[in-house]
Amino acid sequence: MNRILPLVILVAACGKSDHGTPPPPPAQKPALEHATQNDLAKEIADAERLGTWHEIEQRWQGQTLRWTVTRQRLLCSSANDCNVAAFPVQRPAKQGWMPLLTFAPGQYDALAQACDGQDQCEVTVEGILSELEVSPELPTKVVLSKVRLVPGPAGQVKMAHT
Amino acid sequence: MNKLIKSLAVAGITLGAGALTASASSHREAPAIAEDQYVDNTDVYAFISPNDANKLVMVANYVPLLLPTSGPNFYKFSDSARYEIHIDNNGDAVPDIAYRWTFTSQRKNGATFLYNYGPVDTLTSPNLNVTQTYRLEKVNEKTGSTQIIMDKVPVAPWNVGKRSFANYEKVALEAVKTVNGTSSFAGPRDEPFFVDLHVFDLLGVGAGTHTTDGVNVMSLVLEVPIMELVSNGVRPAAGATTKDSVLGIYASASRPKVRFLRNDRAQDDYGGFVQVSRLGWPLVNEVLIPLQDKDKYNRSQPRNDVSNFGAYLLDPEVPKLLNGVLNLGCPATSATGRTDIVGLLSPNNTKAADLLRINITVGQDNSKSHFPNGRALTDDVTDTLLTVACNKTGLTVSDGVDANDKPFTATFPYLASPASGNP
Repeated sequence: MNRILPLVILVAACGKSDHGTPPPPPAQKPALEHATQNDLAKEIADAERLGTWHEIEQRWQGQTLRWTVTRQRLLCSSANDCNVAAFPVQRPAKQGWMPLLTFAPGQYDALAQACDGQDQCEVTVEGILSELEVSPELPTKVVLSKVRLVPGPAGQVKMAHT
Repeated sequence: MNKLIKSLAVAGITLGAGALTASASSHREAPAIAEDQYVDNTDVYAFISPNDANKLVMVANYVPLLLPTSGPNFYKFSDSARYEIHIDNNGDAVPDIAYRWTFTSQRKNGATFLYNYGPVDTLTSPNLNVTQTYRLEKVNEKTGSTQIIMDKVPVAPWNVGKRSFANYEKVALEAVKTVNGTSSFAGPRDEPFFVDLHVFDLLGVGAGTHTTDGVNVMSLVLEVPIMELVSNGVRPAAGATTKDSVLGIYASASRPKVRFLRNDRAQDDYGGFVQVSRLGWPLVNEVLIPLQDKDKYNRSQPRNDVSNFGAYLLDPEVPKLLNGVLNLGCPATSATGRTDIVGLLSPNNTKAADLLRINITVGQDNSKSHFPNGRALTDDVTDTLLTVACNKTGLTVSDGVDANDKPFTATFPYLASPASGNP
């Protein structure tokens, strides 16, 4: 371990900012309100080749997104246990992840009511991408938070974030 | 069981790469673990004890497809790894209890290449040069606290051959240890998983070739009072359908995060442990998870299986392959996806996850412990899962291999004696 200590110190020292230099202002994230799950999936697929894992997390995390997803009752059976299919089934799944939804108060019940007891129901959800983990070592994790249901036109179910 | 024997018809068929790289139940199923054989978890079994309905038997096998003639450095467990069986007892897919094995190797004489220098008639024989012992701990996974169940327990030796072991099984069974009602065995056993591995040659089954006959595996076998596994110390009553009426079981292996290879001395391991292999149901990582995520699966936790891999469960690749290669007429995946598979992974409203779930309510006995309610050693899970995957009414899909070559035993540790290196 003695051989490692100087290296650790050197690395730590190199990582420090110069004294007196003000930190750069935080970069504005471009809004991604029109970005779909397909856009995210494409970026993740590209990251396998480009290594842009960190950039994806930085850009997407915290964004408010509106996605059309499929709620299967079995996989979204309570406000505390709700995953939805981000991509249609009946085609070879190119990615395994299913977004985890956490709801604004009362919104799970609204979703369940809107789906009217159907085993499957397509909805448009809007929420904050509060957690996004992408890496070459661990599975992709997508959490949409503060998801809210907004009644849409007749025959449709819309969800929106407050 | 109805047999479905189809000749291979490959003209014009292209299979995904995922179908070509795996092996058996979970033997060499992912690229990274295939490079680290000693911690490759191959199968998990769980069944109510045939000898005591108040006890649960759990088997975790590691180190796949071992040739008996593998000397002079015969197979063992890794001294630097943690081997664990995890148990969720309240249905949330988060493990509450773990049993953890850690191993230490010994040798009596380093001035010889021999595993043993003479006939071995007992585990304590001075002729047995290379040995291994283990510590078994019970871990409270909520608090992290550990309790040593037994320590310095001998691992059964390798079945070197008839010249070394006139009565191998007598010596091996000396490695069975029981403390306060918990019995443990660690050592080589006959590979209990039976399958025609030609399935991975473009689904080339049909002849029913017993491709895992004659090979061994390293087994951890545990028989534990069910009362030591239940939630809040209460065994659910007969007929209960609450989430705690089923246990969820998976096995894993973990390696230290950091290893230094030294020029001037043995390697050093540092840091916490990272999970490198895990398994609950047979064949999940093997054939449901595609190549791009197989290593990630081994690193991840069951509670996140739906979030991480749910889309693969809803639309598995297997029925498409069965149709493409064998023209079985498996129905296309419905618009709702294969929620029937997800349902099998979440009995009694437990959280869906790759856990081997078994009902432990009062009145359960060995006769009811058959996959997917636990997994008995005799269960033909390949046929079961191929049939479920195809999902065609009235059709049983089979690889043509329906039983192990060696009979299992009626007493602990239940698995058959390993194949001999010199029979």
